[in-house]
Amino acid sequence: MPNLFRKLSSQNLGRPIRSLLFFIFFYLYLWLEVDLRLIYHGGGTITNFPVFFRGWAFLKGFTSHPGGPVEYLSAFLSQFFYIGWAGAVVVTLQAWLICVCTDYFLKAINASRLRWVRFVAPILLLIVYTKYTYRFLTTMALLAALLFVCLYLKMITKNQRTGWLHLAVFLVLSVILYYIAGGAYLLFAVLCAIYELLFRGRPQMGLLYLLSAAVIPYVVGVLVFNVSIIDAFSNLLPFSWKTLYYEEVGRRLVILAYLVYLVLPLTALVAGLGRVALKRKVKEKTNNKFFRLVAGIFSWYLRHNKLKWIVTSLVLFGIAFCALFFSRDIKKKTLFAVDYYACHKMWPQALDAARRHSDVFFIIHVVNRALYHSGQLNFEMFSYPQHPDTLLLTAEKYKLSRWKRFDICIDLGFMNQAEGDLTESLDRFGERPIILKRLALLNMVKANIGAARIYLEALSKTLFYADWANDYLARLQSDPNLAADDQIQHMRCLMAEKDYVSPLPDVKMEYMLSDLLEKNRQNRMAFEYLMAWYLLTRQLDKFIQNLDRLDDFDYPNIPRLYEEAIFIHMYKTKKAVELHGRQISPESLQQCKGFIQIFNHYREDKRAAFNELAKNYGNSYFFYYVYGESWMQK
Amino acid sequence: MRKHYRYLFGFPNVLFRVWGPFMILVLVVLLASVLVYTLRGNKVAIDRYTFIGRGPSIRPDYCGTVIPPNIAPLNFLVQESGSHYCVRIYSKQGEPIEVFSRSPKIVIPEDSWHELLNMNRGEQLYFDVFVKTRNDRWDRFSTITNKIACEDIDGFLVYRKIHPVHDRWKKMGIYQRNLENFNELPVLDNGYYKGGCLNCHTFCGNHPDKMLIGIRSPIYGSSAILAEDGVVSKVGAKFGFASWHPSGRLVVCSIFKPRLIFHSARNYIQDIVELDSALLYYLLDSKTVKTSPELSKKDRLETYPTWSPDGRYLYFCSAPMLWSDRNKVPPQRYAEVKYDLVRISYDLENDAWGKLETVLSAEDTGLSILLPRISPDGRWLLFCMCNYGSWPVHHPSSDLYMMSLKAAEDTAQYKYHRLRINSDQSESWHSWSSNSRWIAFSSKKGNYVFTRTYLSYVDQAGNVYKPIVMPQKDPTFYGSCLKTYNVPELIIQPVQATGEKLARVIRGSRKIAVDMPITMATPKAGVAPEPWQERE
Repeated sequence: MPNLFRKLSSQNLGRPIRSLLFFIFFYLYLWLEVDLRLIYHGGGTITNFPVFFRGWAFLKGFTSHPGGPVEYLSAFLSQFFYIGWAGAVVVTLQAWLICVCTDYFLKAINASRLRWVRFVAPILLLIVYTKYTYRFLTTMALLAALLFVCLYLKMITKNQRTGWLHLAVFLVLSVILYYIAGGAYLLFAVLCAIYELLFRGRPQMGLLYLLSAAVIPYVVGVLVFNVSIIDAFSNLLPFSWKTLYYEEVGRRLVILAYLVYLVLPLTALVAGLGRVALKRKVKEKTNNKFFRLVAGIFSWYLRHNKLKWIVTSLVLFGIAFCALFFSRDIKKKTLFAVDYYACHKMWPQALDAARRHSDVFFIIHVVNRALYHSGQLNFEMFSYPQHPDTLLLTAEKYKLSRWKRFDICIDLGFMNQAEGDLTESLDRFGERPIILKRLALLNMVKANIGAARIYLEALSKTLFYADWANDYLARLQSDPNLAADDQIQHMRCLMAEKDYVSPLPDVKMEYMLSDLLEKNRQNRMAFEYLMAWYLLTRQLDKFIQNLDRLDDFDYPNIPRLYEEAIFIHMYKTKKAVELHGRQISPESLQQCKGFIQIFNHYREDKRAAFNELAKNYGNSYFFYYVYGESWMQK
Repeated sequence: MRKHYRYLFGFPNVLFRVWGPFMILVLVVLLASVLVYTLRGNKVAIDRYTFIGRGPSIRPDYCGTVIPPNIAPLNFLVQESGSHYCVRIYSKQGEPIEVFSRSPKIVIPEDSWHELLNMNRGEQLYFDVFVKTRNDRWDRFSTITNKIACEDIDGFLVYRKIHPVHDRWKKMGIYQRNLENFNELPVLDNGYYKGGCLNCHTFCGNHPDKMLIGIRSPIYGSSAILAEDGVVSKVGAKFGFASWHPSGRLVVCSIFKPRLIFHSARNYIQDIVELDSALLYYLLDSKTVKTSPELSKKDRLETYPTWSPDGRYLYFCSAPMLWSDRNKVPPQRYAEVKYDLVRISYDLENDAWGKLETVLSAEDTGLSILLPRISPDGRWLLFCMCNYGSWPVHHPSSDLYMMSLKAAEDTAQYKYHRLRINSDQSESWHSWSSNSRWIAFSSKKGNYVFTRTYLSYVDQAGNVYKPIVMPQKDPTFYGSCLKTYNVPELIIQPVQATGEKLARVIRGSRKIAVDMPITMATPKAGVAPEPWQERE
């Protein structure tokens, strides 16, 4: 055992073991905590997640510009984010390779004291993913550049011949790398130049390499591939306009990507410049007592490998832990998770995830959908914070949040609104399978079979949605109008028929829900949403007018919240309500009495009664009606 | 040097020495196997077959039509089940082309195709399709017959590709396609200038030497990019639909205030209403923008200008403005707006406009008359009509119509007829080839969403033949293509100015400042584009 520990603590085995532990932690964190499925899904926020289609035609599109091969490979590998654990494997491997390449470079420049720097980029990557941004493409380009740096170093150290051969090797690698990784080539050129300038003492070569960083993108990018000069120098780099212009979130967090790119050149620069300065200083300060003491402690520390291993490992994991602790964003994760579960119709999970930050409009919106689909909307709606604008995200802020609205529109039967939202999302978020699937579905519902086929055929080339698409393509072959498809027929029954014209694909809540019910009295979702709208806007007259629609559905009793609204209406108008033979439950009657009792106890002083009412009746409609809010027990 | 290569491939010395020759041998054997496998069975003599008394089902539909003698191979997909496919393509002269394939995708060799078509201009072109069924028997379908026209189509087609978006966009581009092969290159895409809109590419008489492209960029503002004999400049104005005077000395453009509207329960979801519009013209020599009272009446909406090939008349569309509030969306009675087709004479030397005359009134047709385009020989006026409004691409009711201007000259009557090439979806955005024998147009045939470019032959008598969709190398291409192709313009040569050259001008600060006689909602630089900014 002591022997084993000695081996562990020896630097030969210690480093790989520490790395192994670090990357096991890295993997588990990504898989279990971050959950890369959420990044694949995108949550209506990540606009740069790539799509991938099988076949040559898709591949061909990546061959015509510098950086295309890395884009293609990244697009392929990113698809594994769909399966959480597999995505975590991909990202971990990428981070590990970055770590290995960094280490190789540091060894090559004899900066063994700085080899801890190899963990900086992986830690930054963890922060990037913790922040729910997608930077896999940029980091893939970085990895390509680092691999080429290692290749260059390996070739020139094995072959110690004259500089012209090294220059030739550099130029050949440059052209290949530029084609493969676009603007990330600049990193390769800069690292090679630093190496030649500061560590090999070949300033002419270094300057030539720096010059090539300006020339090669122009010649290969602009003149050969005819790309714009902006893209020639910046494509795949963190400061590409595609990142800075389109991605609001990416723009805010771009500093992390800059750091990932800059960490190695800065380290090399510091190591190179510091080397000379340090030598001089050591000579000057050898007589300084304090310096000798520090140097003594340091050299003692360096001699004790076991201690060194433990300390450096603790520091590494401590830094990683702190970085993740301070960078995590639970609200953001909740938003991503809630959207993911809602899009996959995982209602219990959606409700569970929504418990945190349930005061965000979008989360309330999903909660209402989840409650409806679990048959609880007219019972538990006020167990969560509520606002009328959350039902169909009609608030001004959400008018352009197309991603977040299309599913509720499909659920209710507002196919054109959904189509408008989805086509805008298609351009903004790319030809993502989740969008194509819905566009195919709603075009089948609208009997636009030609357009549906196009979406289905595109979807059949994806990795994970092909079966669904092929199944529908086969069905269309035998049943072109999908007359035998129950789901399509059901959705056709729900579809809105009355045409409204508006400047945006807008939902005029009350009219459109009423029209849906006029078309199909059995449209349960339209009914419950309309009633919820009346409850939330406290339009109890209209609520009572629509109460007879209860007969169109199979409710065993009057839903609890409806009973409470009926009590309020009776209390306010002093008139009986026609219940069509239904009975108010004794529990609701008891609730009503209890609420009134407490309210009267405080002499109808709303403010004074708040706490007690909130405690006992916070999830009732009585409470919402009086206070304009619900009081969720957290 | 050998040693150097070893480094390049990363082989350690000993591995290279021992395994090198063996690996090369393995590679050669593998390559040979692949070659033998792929070439296997590529020459099969089909002497026995069962005749199927119907034509094969193929996609795209390239049956019974007239094709350009210089068109790229019409690759197609045989939609008949089988294990092997064989297509024999032949005409009166020359060697037949035989394509054997295990896949139903029939990809025709380009050189042989062009040779065959060139030798047989004006003759019939035949396709015999054979399919090997599962029980090892060949079926032969009835021969597909097409005619090879005598006249070429212009070699290049310029169009804009974009997702079928409505009010926001991310990526779009104007591309030029070589119709003789499958090469497609960008003229300009919005990536060159950090996103934004680009539209309304217009050429002077099918020549790319004079070109105008509209740009709207939140960073660089709105402008018109003018390429003139290799010189690119930026005009600081937002021009809409434009038409070059045949002399190349002026361009007439529409300016408008379009707004998107959405239908909540129609099969098409979007439409565009022009709240206001007028025509202006830009004189290239003096670099000035002008208008005339007849081109910009306050109570009317003017749009879609097009010059007669002799440059004596400007044709355009004009409708009464039915609303007083020019900001309300949708405006009152927007679904009643129908455009007339009018023309006005012009004297280039004196820069003088004549009197306005109505060519065809919406009252007579009952439909809104839009997008007039006159054939370069001046004989035919092609236009579209739809139920109402000014954006036919959004209206399934939009169809193409033809009018003989020659007959109108003789009889003083403007007679028109609906073309048989129309589908139940929107047909629009048509253009003529320089020899007046071909038209390219956009159609949503078969779906409500995606426009595709079709090519049709027009004979001397003005008969328009069954269109073919612009061919693609992969015959299944359109089956999963999520982009729409709009504003197809035929040109005889490729656009020479590179995307970067055009973009440098867009990004640059130098521009030709013009005083606009009328202004209409021109977004300024730094201001995000508004949702109304249209793209089709």
